[in-house]
Amino acid sequence: MKKIVISVLGCDRPGIIAAVSQTLFENQCNIEDVNQTTLQNEFVGIFIATKPEQTSDEELRARLQERLTPMGLSVMVKPLQESGEWRAPPSEPFVITTLGPDRLGLVAGITEVLARFEINITDLRAVFRGGNDPRRNVMIYEVDIPVAIDRSAFRTALYRRADELGLDISLQHRDIFETIHRI
Amino acid sequence: MLTDREILSTLEMLKNEHLDVRTVTLGISLFDCADHDHERFMQRIYDKICRTAQDLVRVCDEVGLQYGIPVVNKRIAVSPIAVAACAFSAPQMVAIAKTMDEAARATGVDFIGGFGALVEKGMTAGDRALIDAIPEALAETRRVCSSVNVASTNAGINMDAVYLMGKTIKRAAELTADADGLACTKLCVFANIPPDIPFMAGAYLGVGEPDAVINVGVSGPGVVKKAIDRARSASPEADLGQLSEIIKRTAFKVTRVGELIGRQVARKLGVPFGVVDLSLAPTPNVGDSVGEIFQSLGLKAIGVPGSTAVLALLNDAVKKGGIFASSYVGGLSGAFIPVSEDLHIGEAARKGYLSLDKLEALTSVCSVGLDMVVLPGETSAETLAAIIADEMAIGMINGKATAARLIPVPGKKAGDQAFFGGLLGEATIIPVSTHGGADTFVRLGGRIPAPVQSFGN
Repeated sequence: MKKIVISVLGCDRPGIIAAVSQTLFENQCNIEDVNQTTLQNEFVGIFIATKPEQTSDEELRARLQERLTPMGLSVMVKPLQESGEWRAPPSEPFVITTLGPDRLGLVAGITEVLARFEINITDLRAVFRGGNDPRRNVMIYEVDIPVAIDRSAFRTALYRRADELGLDISLQHRDIFETIHRI
Repeated sequence: MLTDREILSTLEMLKNEHLDVRTVTLGISLFDCADHDHERFMQRIYDKICRTAQDLVRVCDEVGLQYGIPVVNKRIAVSPIAVAACAFSAPQMVAIAKTMDEAARATGVDFIGGFGALVEKGMTAGDRALIDAIPEALAETRRVCSSVNVASTNAGINMDAVYLMGKTIKRAAELTADADGLACTKLCVFANIPPDIPFMAGAYLGVGEPDAVINVGVSGPGVVKKAIDRARSASPEADLGQLSEIIKRTAFKVTRVGELIGRQVARKLGVPFGVVDLSLAPTPNVGDSVGEIFQSLGLKAIGVPGSTAVLALLNDAVKKGGIFASSYVGGLSGAFIPVSEDLHIGEAARKGYLSLDKLEALTSVCSVGLDMVVLPGETSAETLAAIIADEMAIGMINGKATAARLIPVPGKKAGDQAFFGGLLGEATIIPVSTHGGADTFVRLGGRIPAPVQSFGN
C-alpha cells in the first residue's frame, strides 16, 4: 500500500465527493483524510488515501477523470511525500487581520513580508468585494511565527507594509480569540 | 480554525469599544522592611519596591503588544503603611510617602497605593500618625494614593475615625487649593475594604496576602454599551432579562481577557496571580462611560427614576458573567460610578439629573460608593464626616465594600466646575445640605456597633 494525494477542482455541485469516494472504493483505496472548500462557486477537494500497489497512479487518475470530466471537474493524483524539505521550527500561533479597500497586490504585499521572515501561513481567508464595508474587504491570516525570529523587526516590517498598502492591520496572539470566544 | 466572526468581533471590541485591561497592579508586601530606624526603613521599602517592580511596566507592555490588548495602567499596591511603619511619627510618615512616590517614579508606574490604615475598631499610634500625615503626604506627592478603612460589617463604624477623616479630607483640599483639592482625589474612606483591590485610589495589599502578587482590573463599559445597542437594534422587542444575558456574556469576554493578560504578566514576573476585579471602570474618554449604558436602556441620564434598578441589573450581570470567566475574583467587582471620571455621569450631575442623595442610593447596589464626588468648598469637616458615615452604613449593613472619595473644592460653590485632568477628569460641584445638625451628630463619636446579620430586611 502506498499513500497518494488526489485533488479535485471545478464548479461546485452535489455528488462530487460521492463520485470521488466511490471510484476510490472501487479501486480498493482507503481514505485517510479529506477536506473540501468552496470559493464563490468553485469547489476544491483534497483527499489522502492508501492505494494497492497493483493500481498505478496514472490508472487511478484516468478512472477518476473518466467519472469526473462529465461533471466539469479536473483531477490530479500524486504520491504523498511523507515529509517535505521544510520542517516547522518551534513557533507560536498568531492571527493577522487586515481591513481596507481593495487594490492590486494586497495579498502579495503582505505575504512577501511573511515569507521574508520564514513565517508559515496555516490558514488564510481573504475577501475583496469593494465598497465601504470593512467586513467585505478583509484578510485573515493564521500564521506560525518562529520563536527564533526578531519579532519586533517583523512587526515593524508588517505594519510598514500595511501602511504602504493603505490597510488597517492587527497582529495578535491566537490565544486572545480562543480565550474570548471559547469555553 | 477560528471563525471570521470571532476574529472580527474581537477587533471591533478593541478598536471601537475601548476593550482594554484597565490596570495590572503589583501588590508588594512591605512587612519584611520593618525597622526601628526611619532612614533604614525608607531605604528598605525603596529597594524592595524597585527590585520587585523593576520589570512590571516593560512586561505589561510586551504582553499587551503580543495579544493586541493594551494594559492602560500599571500600578503598585503595598502593605498598609500604618502597619508596616507603625512606630513612626506623622512627619516621618510624610517622608515615607515621598519615598513611595520616588519608587513609583523609578519603576514607571502612574500610581502607588497603600499609604493607608485599617481603623474600623480602633486606632494605634501608628494609625493616628499616618492619618495625620495624609494631607501633607498627598499634597506633596504625585503618585501616592491613600485609603483608610473606618467601618466593617463585623466591627461597626468607628465614628471617631470617620470624623477624623472628615477633617483630613478638608485639610487635604486646603493644601491643594490651587488645584481644586487634587489631594482628595487620591484618598478613599472605606467600609469593608477588600485586601486585593487593583484600582486606585483604594488599592493596597492586605495583611493575609502573599509577598508579591498580580491583581488585574478589567474595564469595558464601552463594550457593554455597544453590545446592548446591537442587541436592541437587532431585536427591538428584547426585554430586560434578555439584555441582562447580553451584558453577562459581554462581561465574560472582557474578564477572560483580563485573566489571560494577568496570568501572562504574573508568569513572566515570577509572582503569583491573585484576582481579577470585575469592575466596569469608566474613563473620561468618549465611548468609555458607565453613565451611557443607562441611556442605552432608555433612561435620559443616570440619576433619573429607574437608575437604581438599571444599576442593580448591570452590576449583577457583570458579576455573573465575570465570575464564570475567572478562576479567582476579588477587589471591588461591580460597576463604578465616579462622577468626574465618566463623561455621562459628570454631565448628569451638571444638568441636575444626579443629586448627592441619588448617588448614595445608587451605591447601595453597586461597588465603590460616592466616588469622585465634587462638593462646595465651604462643606464643613462635620458634614463631610456625616456623608461618609451614611456611606459606611450602607456598606456595613449590606456586607459589601463602599467608599467615599469626596472633594470639597476650596473657593468654589455648587454649580462651579472643578478640573483635575487626565483620568481624574472634571465635574460640576453638586450641592450639599449643610444645616442638618451634622455637627452635633458627628461629635458624639464612639463606635456604631456591628449589625445583626440575620433578619436581613
